[in-house]
This record gives sequence, structure tokens and C-alpha cells, in this order.
Amino acid sequence: MKKLLSIATLTAMVTTLVAGEVMVKGSDTMLNITQRLAEAFSATRPDITVSVAGGGSGVGINAVVNNEVQIGNASRAIKSKEISSARANGVNPVEYAIAVDGLCVITNEKNPVKKLTITQLGDIYRGKVKNWSEVGGPNKPVSLYGRQPNSGTFVFFREMAVKSEYAQSMRQMNGNSQIVEGVKADLGGIGYVGVGYVKDGGISVIELSSDGTNYSSPLDKSAVDAGTYPLARPLFQYTNGKVKGDAKAFIEFEMSPAGQKIVEEEGFFPLNKSLVEKNQGNL
Amino acid sequence: MKKTVFALLLAILAAGSVYAQDPGQTELEYNGWFRYTNQSKKFQVTDPTVSRSNIERNYLRASHRWSPQFFSKLSLDFLSSSSFADGAGVRIKDAYLDMALPIPDFTLTAGVQKHYFGLIYSWDYTHPDKSLADAQGVCASSDYGVTVNGFLPKGLGELQLGVYNGEGYKYTGSKVSVAPELLANLRVTPFAGIQVGASVFAKAKDFSTYKNDKKGRTSDGTKFELGDTANMSRFALAPMAKVALGPVSLTGEYIMYGYTREFSYYALNRDSAGAVTDSVLHAKSKGYAMSGIDLVPLVSLLGRKFEVFGRFSTWERKEESAEGAMEVNLDRSLMRYGAGFNYHFVRRSGGSKPGVAFQLAWIREQSRKEGADPVDTFMAQARLEWNHLFSAQQ
Repeated sequence: MKKLLSIATLTAMVTTLVAGEVMVKGSDTMLNITQRLAEAFSATRPDITVSVAGGGSGVGINAVVNNEVQIGNASRAIKSKEISSARANGVNPVEYAIAVDGLCVITNEKNPVKKLTITQLGDIYRGKVKNWSEVGGPNKPVSLYGRQPNSGTFVFFREMAVKSEYAQSMRQMNGNSQIVEGVKADLGGIGYVGVGYVKDGGISVIELSSDGTNYSSPLDKSAVDAGTYPLARPLFQYTNGKVKGDAKAFIEFEMSPAGQKIVEEEGFFPLNKSLVEKNQGNL
Repeated sequence: MKKTVFALLLAILAAGSVYAQDPGQTELEYNGWFRYTNQSKKFQVTDPTVSRSNIERNYLRASHRWSPQFFSKLSLDFLSSSSFADGAGVRIKDAYLDMALPIPDFTLTAGVQKHYFGLIYSWDYTHPDKSLADAQGVCASSDYGVTVNGFLPKGLGELQLGVYNGEGYKYTGSKVSVAPELLANLRVTPFAGIQVGASVFAKAKDFSTYKNDKKGRTSDGTKFELGDTANMSRFALAPMAKVALGPVSLTGEYIMYGYTREFSYYALNRDSAGAVTDSVLHAKSKGYAMSGIDLVPLVSLLGRKFEVFGRFSTWERKEESAEGAMEVNLDRSLMRYGAGFNYHFVRRSGGSKPGVAFQLAWIREQSRKEGADPVDTFMAQARLEWNHLFSAQQ
């Protein structure tokens, strides 16, 4: 048994990821924000290099399970199947939230529709609702604006609101700014963008409801914190066991006021109290 | 030929494939294993009884997810075999629809799918040889049926309940009896690095099929009918365990398998000249009981690029004698052991599956038959696997 343990220790040493380097992989939605956080972190800790790669949430989680990286980015919670597989391989995934992703649904400011249910929003993006009059608005055709399929936002909005395929008529824009410009110039336009892109005039931010009774705005921080705004979700990072060493220093930076300021600058919501408390329990 | 291949690819794409995670996505996957096998008695590698190259696996898989609730998969096995006129054929390995159930992380799966027994369904061929249940014909790795598959909360394990044909994916039509096979499988992971579980399947005997309606004729023209044969009831149980500690793991299972064969036959009465005069019908029943152990230790090195593995298996077969005692059939009882390594040149994104790998294994099989020489098998295998995800909007 002693020999076996010695071999295990030795091989673990051989396979340990390089000291002074933190490797992060996963969610494409989190790629830019993590890169920004990594740059800011490296400015304060030049002895630690953080390399960030995309590939998708599933890839990020698998990369942690297979000891490829110290941190896996995921814009969704780890699945029971993935935890089960990880635990069978001796890996204990631990979850940290670093930001909250929330999408704003925008319309032209001259459009009188200011509130929608998630069901109505889904019907609009599936192409079932083709005219604003069907949801209490003017007799005007709906023009759909969205992102391209390689965007995490495209996938997030589809999962949370569309829940099926987007209508073929949706214009696939390169980024948030293009969507805002499109909707500004289109009286029948509707689009979805990050919270950092709704400061300009010419557009309205729609209040949303899951139950048709309680509507909330993504600009209302308390609604996002309370989880009542339907298009908000935490963005996670996963590690094998409680995070240690250089990776811990990086995650702590992400959660610090300086890190959370970057989160807001990148158009995401900062962590709410319950997520902060949950993180602290895992540190 | 090109047209056929193109049409086949289109058909696969249309039907749907593998682990497509988002609605509207289709995934295409290929698994190709090119193997050289050298088999000899007592390490006579230069004087082998088998020395051949073959395509051990040649799978094309396609899967499609329509929505979070519905997913389908089709896997075609383009196999090389002398059983086919052109030396190759096609077999359906998976063809199923997954439907999400109201219970979180549970699905209902219908079609040709994994057979969730013992290690066979999670056998990832880290060791290039088959799992023990597969190698000894306890069951096939996939079968036609309906299963409920689920994962326990907090990664505590997985559960499957199923009703299958019970004959395996290679058998259809009149080769399938009316008696269903019932299966249950549970794996629990109480702590990270410890997994325990057990599977069981049972299939009742069935008198409605396997009727042997062949008629015999002796050389002098006397006709007689053969009796019914091969009405079997089968039962198998397989507890398993896996221990993983850093880069070292040990996976093992113990298999108990038994079946009863009930059959009848005509004993022929002959005259002094040897001609059949008449026949008498006899009914018989014979029991078979098998058991075996399979152990696979594995060490992963160099960031999982290099894996060293061992293998130890036993198999004992007992058959019911005319007196009713269960006697060991030494000819069909054996011990196997061996070792080998895998080198992964490329792993697929996320590192969970092989991309380009080389595998080398040595296996020694020692029959328990008195005086039998050990048989040594060397397998050298190139494993080439890839996948590509297509989005509906692309």
C-alpha cells in the first residue's frame, strides 16, 4: 500500500500543472470577462501568469475533471452527470460564482410595449408573434435582432427565452452595439443586449415576468440580486477541490471590489450577497 | 461508390448523433481503430497462430437535439467481416430517442441503446480488449429496449431500469423471443474517488419461439422431427467497484451468470442394418453457472498523455451433469492477465475522450484444461477519433 501511495504521489507531482501559471478554460460567454480579469490580476501579481481559453462550458468542466486546467469556466451549473463522472474519477468539483450574466430586452423607444412575459418573448423570437398588435402594441411587424450562433449570449437567450429554434427571420448581428443601433433605427425592432449597452437613448428596456404578474427590470439591481429578473444567471468557475495556491489568488481577485468593478465594466452584474456568502463557504 | 458514401453521410446527418448539447445542434463523430494482432502459444511471436491487421472499430455516429427535452442518436458500425460477400457490412449500434422526464436529470430512452450491465456500458477501451461480460458472451454491449436513465442529486451516482429484447443488438426478427429481459443498474459515488454499484438482469424462459421445425431424413428416407431446443432462462448479477486516487485507479467487477437450457430431442431406434425404425421424444433440462473477476489497474502520467494499465481476469464455467451435479468445465474455464500502455498524441477538447492514440497490450490466457499451453496475444492499435458540432444556423 505504501508503495502504491508513493507511486501515486510521484505521478501526481509529475502531472501537477506548472507553478506560477493558472490555466482557465471553458465558457465562451466568459472568455472576454475572464481575460480582462486575468490582465488586471497579472498587473498586481506579475509572478503569476493566467492563460484563458474558450471552448464552451462543457469543455471547461471536462478540463477540470481531467486535470487539464486548474479552473473551468461555465455559464451554467455543473450537471449531476458531470459531478458523478468527476467523483468516480476522484475529482471533487467545487463551484465559485464570479459574476451574474443578465440580458436586457430592448425595443425602439417609440414602441409603447414596455412589458412582456417570458412566454410572449419566446413566441416573438420563435416567429409565432409576427406583429406588435398581438402583444398589445401598434399594428407594426416585429423585426428580430439577435447574435450569431457562436455567441454565448445567442445560446443563453435561446435556452432562457426562446426554448426552441430562433425564427429564420432574425437578423444575426456581430455584437451588442450593432443590435442597439439596429433597434434604434427600427420602430418594430426588438433585440437583446448586455446591461452595459443600454445607457444610450433611443431604446427602451423591457420589464419581464415569468408568471405574468410580477414584472422586473434588469436595471433594478435588487430584482437581479433577488433572482426575480428572468434573464439573469450566475457565471461559475469550477476547481478540483477547494481552490488553492495561485488559482486561489486569482479567484479571490475576481471576487474582490477591484474584480467586481471589471465585471460591471464588461456589462455583467456583480455578485449578490447570497453568491458572495456561498463563495466564502467554498474558499 | 462515392454517391453511396455521400448519400449515407447525408442520411446520418438527417437522422441526427452524439452529445449535441444545445437545441438545434447536430454532432457527427467518428471512431476508427486499426489493430494488428499477434497470437501464439507460449510467446512464439515469430511462429504465430494469428497474425493479422484489421479494422477493429469503424463507427460513424450522428446525434441531434431538437430541444432540451428531445435528443436522438444513431451509430453505424461499418465492420470488416468475412461473413459478408464484400468483406464488409453495416450494423446499427445505437438508434434511440431520449425524452426528458419530469424528474430532474432523468430521461426515458427508447431504441437500440447501451445495455447497462456491469462494466460493459462504461467500458471506454482504455484496455483495448473487451470487458469480461462482452468477451464471455454474458450479454451484448447494446440492445433493443426501453430504459429509464437518471443521475442522483449532487453527483451521488446513477440509476437505470430497463426492459430489453435480451438477445443483443445483432439479433432481430424471428431471432428475438417474446420473453423480455428486465434489467436494473445502480452506481453510487459516496465520496470522490470511490464508486460502488451492482447490476442485475433476468430473462424468463420462453417456449413460444426457438421451435425447431426442421425435419430430418435418414439416408434410407425415414422421416423424423427434431425436438424443440434452446428455451433458456437467464440471470446475471455483477457488483462493481472503482477506487481512484490521483493518477491511479483500480476498477473491478465480479460477474455471476447462469442459465437453464430446456430442450427435447428424438432418440432414434434403428434396426440391425442401422436404418431408423422409429424415434422416442425425450425432454431434458441442463443448468449452466459461470462466474468471473475482472480487475483493471491504471496509472496516468504526463498530464494523461501516457497511461499504463494491467489486467487480471478469471472465468469459471460449470455445467450440470447427468446426475444433477454442477461440474467445472475446465476447457472453458480460464485465467487472463497482462499489461500495456496508451499514448495519447491528441485528446479531444476538454480531454475526456481520445483523439489520436496508440495502444499496445499483451494478454496471456491460460486455460484450466490440464496440459494446455498459455496463449499470448499482442495487440497494437491506432485509435483515431474526432467529432464536429453543427449549429442549425450555420
